[in-house]
Amino acid sequence: MSVQLTVEQAAFLQGPVSINVAAAGRDGWPQVCRAQGCVIARDRRTVTLLLSARRGRELLDALDAGSGIAAVFSRPSTHATLQLKAVRAERVTLNAALRADNGRYAQAFADELVGLGFGAELGQNLTTVMTSNDLTALRFAPEIVFDQTPGPAAGRVLATT
Amino acid sequence: MKPTLEAMRSCLDGAIPAVVATCARDGTPNVAYASQVHYVDAEHVALSYQFFSKTRENVLAHPYAQVQVIEPGSFRHFRLKLHYMRTETGGPLFEYMKAQLAGIAAQTRMDKVFMLRGADIYRVLDIESVDSHLPPAPLPSDALLSLRRTLELLGDATDLSDLADRALAALTPGFGIRHALLLMQDETGDTLYTLGSLGYPDSGIGAEVKIGEGLIGVAARERIPIRINYRTGDYTYQAAMRATNATEPRIPLPLLANPHSRIAVPLIHGGRSVGVLYAESEQDAFFSHADEDALVVYAHHLAALVAQAACESDDTEPAHIEPAARPSGAPLAVRYFAADHSVFIDNDYLIKGVAGSILWTLLNEHASNGRRDFCNRELRRDPRLPLPDFGDNLETRLILLQRRLAERCPTIALEKTGRGRFRLNVGRPLQLSA
Repeated sequence: MSVQLTVEQAAFLQGPVSINVAAAGRDGWPQVCRAQGCVIARDRRTVTLLLSARRGRELLDALDAGSGIAAVFSRPSTHATLQLKAVRAERVTLNAALRADNGRYAQAFADELVGLGFGAELGQNLTTVMTSNDLTALRFAPEIVFDQTPGPAAGRVLATT
Repeated sequence: MKPTLEAMRSCLDGAIPAVVATCARDGTPNVAYASQVHYVDAEHVALSYQFFSKTRENVLAHPYAQVQVIEPGSFRHFRLKLHYMRTETGGPLFEYMKAQLAGIAAQTRMDKVFMLRGADIYRVLDIESVDSHLPPAPLPSDALLSLRRTLELLGDATDLSDLADRALAALTPGFGIRHALLLMQDETGDTLYTLGSLGYPDSGIGAEVKIGEGLIGVAARERIPIRINYRTGDYTYQAAMRATNATEPRIPLPLLANPHSRIAVPLIHGGRSVGVLYAESEQDAFFSHADEDALVVYAHHLAALVAQAACESDDTEPAHIEPAARPSGAPLAVRYFAADHSVFIDNDYLIKGVAGSILWTLLNEHASNGRRDFCNRELRRDPRLPLPDFGDNLETRLILLQRRLAERCPTIALEKTGRGRFRLNVGRPLQLSA
């Protein structure tokens, strides 16, 4: 059973947010990798994340071996942050819609950072990193949602199964 | 080739938040943002501990973490494999991180939220360059070249007054620094006073900072350089820099109203803290890690020159006594308060402490017998002056007094007439009261 994300949460997760994914490696070491886009299913019960297979090799390996998944989403301009967790994630076939989402996401996220005063050069490199041609897609059904906006309330559970 | 931790220090300045991944004992992963990943040495970093978070709960149970940091200016990612060692809740590293966190917190408008409870120390086991195909960020200016240029401009000044001026002036062509202060530690060891300044409308000569207060005072107390790269509204690090008892006469520290970057570097010589060099800028991230390194070396050099100048022996030949012309004009009202040795001229505060008592003694000598030529040696023996037996900083006090008079009351002047000798010039009759 998964939680159903609210409409606001779904919009936030698909916005110009920084996305990072973690898993526990086969050797017990935590692994982290930046994701490059997020698509929420219509019923708001599954999350599909896009990653570069090369950049996320160890993370994907950990997930393939059955690790749970944690993903943190943070909007640089507001610091609003959510963390989602699930006991497993599966790889799904990349399609044209997901590829298109990757391009849209990279542009929106670069605009967000450049708007905050980070240089155009960073924006350009970000777009290079975020639109790699070795995309892979991961899908998971979140079982718990945490508010992780910095502050004493960070860690509050917003939804759980 | 594996990147080294030293080579990626720009990633550890808090410009772009880092991400930390941990695992619970049952293997459940957690991923969160880290406010601060601080460079400790070539093998260690420290993460700020602000709240008891899942990250912290995890590393206490399973002491492994992976941290992802980003190079500002290039967006290259690096992943650090870390092993948690211990938490420090006081001492130099903790104080440095606390000050720096105040800067990061203000930059991210989180200054009401961030408070450092501990510095979690991790050993770095591995560094992975994730985006090795991307060009690195443009190199910052060469701090070693800046240092060399600054030292060349400083030269080998041996006169303390000249040294203070040149030490600050050399920072502009050397490091591009336009606003700086040179503060000396007083003989009690609990206060710093401003001996020279660069780039402020009011010089602030004589302005005091308590040891342990604000960025300057904490750098002096902990004997560490502290660099804050972003504007901070944190009371401790900004307002308290100027804090003294509002009812006491005081000279305000000049300082920029809204500095974006600040650095305070202690002057240490022979294991003794002699002062602080402070610089600030209106630009974000003005001082790099390498600038900090270079300014630490510069401050060591300055401290040695200050110590050397203080050891210069005074002239031994007798003072050349010149009779003073009797001044004319309306009398200057000079009032002295013995409680804090403060001196007011025509009701305006001039100076207090040791410098105040020196001035009062000189003016009284002058009033009673017309004397105007003096030497350091006799001042050191004068029981009216609150000077300790050793390390009296008399020379720096005289420079401070000389500069303060030149700014606030040029009618009274101290003129150097030799090593350890000076003349008191008084342009108007004096009316002394205590």
